[in-house]
Amino acid sequence: MENIIEVKQLAKLFGNQSALESVDFHVKKGEVFGFLGPSGSGKTTTIKILTGQLIATSGTAKVFGEPVSQLKKSKYRSRFGVLTDNSGLYERLSIRDNLKLYCDLYNVPHSEINEVLDVVNLKEDQTKRVSALSKGMTQRVILARALIHKPELLFLDEPTSALDPGNSLHIHEGLRALNKKGTTIFLTTHDMQEAELLCDRIAFLDRGMIQLLDTPKKLKRRFSDSTITVELVTEEKVKLPAGKEGANRLFDYMNSNQVMTVHSNEPTLGEIFVKVTGRELD
Amino acid sequence: MISMKRMNAILMKDFKDFSRNLYVSTVLILPIGLGIMYGRAGIDSIESHFMLINLAFVMVATFIQSCLIAEEKEKNTLRSLMLSPASTVEILGGKSLLTFILTMFVVVVTAYFSGYNPANIGIIMIAFILSSFFYIALGTLLGLFSKSVMEASVIVLPVVTVFSLGSFLPTLIEQYPILKIGMYLPNIQLIELAAKVEAGGGFGNVILELFIILVWVIVLFLVTRIIYRKKMVD
Repeated sequence: MENIIEVKQLAKLFGNQSALESVDFHVKKGEVFGFLGPSGSGKTTTIKILTGQLIATSGTAKVFGEPVSQLKKSKYRSRFGVLTDNSGLYERLSIRDNLKLYCDLYNVPHSEINEVLDVVNLKEDQTKRVSALSKGMTQRVILARALIHKPELLFLDEPTSALDPGNSLHIHEGLRALNKKGTTIFLTTHDMQEAELLCDRIAFLDRGMIQLLDTPKKLKRRFSDSTITVELVTEEKVKLPAGKEGANRLFDYMNSNQVMTVHSNEPTLGEIFVKVTGRELD
Repeated sequence: MISMKRMNAILMKDFKDFSRNLYVSTVLILPIGLGIMYGRAGIDSIESHFMLINLAFVMVATFIQSCLIAEEKEKNTLRSLMLSPASTVEILGGKSLLTFILTMFVVVVTAYFSGYNPANIGIIMIAFILSSFFYIALGTLLGLFSKSVMEASVIVLPVVTVFSLGSFLPTLIEQYPILKIGMYLPNIQLIELAAKVEAGGGFGNVILELFIILVWVIVLFLVTRIIYRKKMVD
């Protein structure tokens, strides 16, 4: 599959402080790629470099097969959408007026506004002024603006960080639908559940370096201790090893009608992150 | 190719936003109010008229434009515009259109109320249009250097002083010859041009003044473009 993002030995220094150190990865067209890491790990720096808002100190970064310096061109700008912590809205204007402006800038008919407001669950509030919105609603308007032109590539920096679980779920559904239609999503998040739910592949970023990169399933398998936990009717939990011994014991429990539930003991992505980096995701 | 649709979209957005922004929009009243007072006082020297006209230029074109740009920076909306397919010319052009319309309206109304009646309205209008480009470019530049509207309104104060009270510069040159260099400022050139027009001069007599103002416009436009492009990256 064609790579939509290619990054090789990317590094960024702010003065003497290193934000990124030799980062390598690629994102395939049509995939949802998760960039996970704690605050200050270099996630936003990477998005800013990939969208041409920041110049890398060394290394190469290509988007749509072109060096990111080329992204200044209008024809490339209309192919991607961005949601970052420095995305702003016109507070004295309504949600609809904000989106109307971006429809005109991207040459998109105004009829798209209702569709995108549906995705972010704000259709009923479209005449409200942005200054009257909560933080979560504002975040959703910014997301709607990033989606308005149905970009080929979407950069999302913590898209659901200010949202309640209900709205996060709604946004996840919208993003999955968008991805099904072909949009590639580059997502940074602290939320391991969100990453597991949405991402095809995940990179763990810590101290400016990628520590792990794989599919959530493979990562879990790699860090699994290959045991299962059997919960008995007596509410006792028994951990069984993989292999013949475990299978025989499970058979015995089942034969004597003692089994209530059986779970595989896979680590969560959060646990894997701590194991690999020795740091908690904050 | 420049997209008029994009420029118009930015203009319409700015118009709606500006009409709800009392902090900045009330500035429009000041030069017009002073113009009415001037008219009633019967002041009729060219320097006095042009102190007021230059004040109108700097208060509307420079102050308002710098506040509009600074607010876009403060609220992170300028970065969002920069990341859209709109080009530098479309963004800055769109953002300058509203200021241009407001400037021309306020300057003409102020001049009318103050009792200024130019001998050749065509030449004066050309000079006003060129001057408005200069003051708008200056406002854009100041806005790009400011981090907030508050900062922009402080930075613009010395500019207001130089370009409004500076209209009396020619009267001080005999006493302070060093001020001669200031004669090339666009506000002084506008006064020189107006004086020639009042003395019966035609287009051929004021070509140098128009050229000097045009040079200021081109230089500021290029500097603004360079600074804007630098601000596109962190």
